[in-house]
Amino acid sequence: MIRAVAVVLVAAGIATAADVSGPALDYTLNCQGCHRADGSGTPGSVPALAGSVGKFLRVRGGREYVARVPGVAQAPLDDAATAGVLNWILERFGRDDLPADFSPYTAAEIGGLRRSPLTDVERVRRELLEAIARAR
Amino acid sequence: MIDRRRWLDRFVEVFARQMAQRTSRRSVLTRFGSFLVGATLPVLPVARAAEDGRLPPPDDAALKGDAGDPKSCNYWRHCAIDGFLCACCGGSQNACPPGTEMSPVTWIGTCRHPGDGKDYIISYNDCCGQSLCLRCRCTRTEGEKPLYFTSKNNDLLWCFGTKSRAVNCSVAVVLGVATRS
Repeated sequence: MIRAVAVVLVAAGIATAADVSGPALDYTLNCQGCHRADGSGTPGSVPALAGSVGKFLRVRGGREYVARVPGVAQAPLDDAATAGVLNWILERFGRDDLPADFSPYTAAEIGGLRRSPLTDVERVRRELLEAIARAR
Repeated sequence: MIDRRRWLDRFVEVFARQMAQRTSRRSVLTRFGSFLVGATLPVLPVARAAEDGRLPPPDDAALKGDAGDPKSCNYWRHCAIDGFLCACCGGSQNACPPGTEMSPVTWIGTCRHPGDGKDYIISYNDCCGQSLCLRCRCTRTEGEKPLYFTSKNNDLLWCFGTKSRAVNCSVAVVLGVATRS
């Protein structure tokens, strides 16, 4: 009987809930609801981060775009926390796609870029995706 | 063909007799039941919601009154819920009612557990595919932001990435513990 209960508990994954802090917590509370825990997004509704976000930094204008998209520019986080979560996203979901000379965003850089919001996100995104495709 | 059937009959008979001699019906039922539970749990909606494997540990049984009642608006996880409680609609605080689909797109906040004082990360997923449940309507706004912060607003219907956009009810799934360093 005890063994049967143990099987059920293990199957249910009942364990101590993981502590989440720092940029991972900021991602969970401010980004994950739409972009999902694995960064896969939802086709047709929310762009994927995994296997995608890092590629923008390989083309001209991409670094600025990533820091100016609505989710980043309007995040209810200060500049330092926003830089932290954006660098965390790039490390977690875009590490294999980043350019060799990539340097993490700083709070000052985020502060400057988010104060210059994109007025036509879709157009800029489309142009950058075309540039990424050409650069392959 | 007849000989082959007889051989099969004999094999099944011998196998059944040996099993009856070696095992009790209770032990077979116990093992079979454990197998079924173990095989079923991973496909429950709560398992899909907690994509990273984190599941809720807080002990609700120790809570007194509405704070420990998933069918109450004052249940501790419902500090920012806006909608009909799935626990009143044929589901639970973790699982959608049968016939509905949990939206993968959700809004996420934190609620403090009155028992251990920790801030738990709560995912408010809508269950989609049937019309409004209309039972246990709750509106709580802890940590909610105005509509122009769409990702932190609970007035929106969150059936995205689902076959149907029709909202039935909302769950409150624990994703982890929020710790501020």
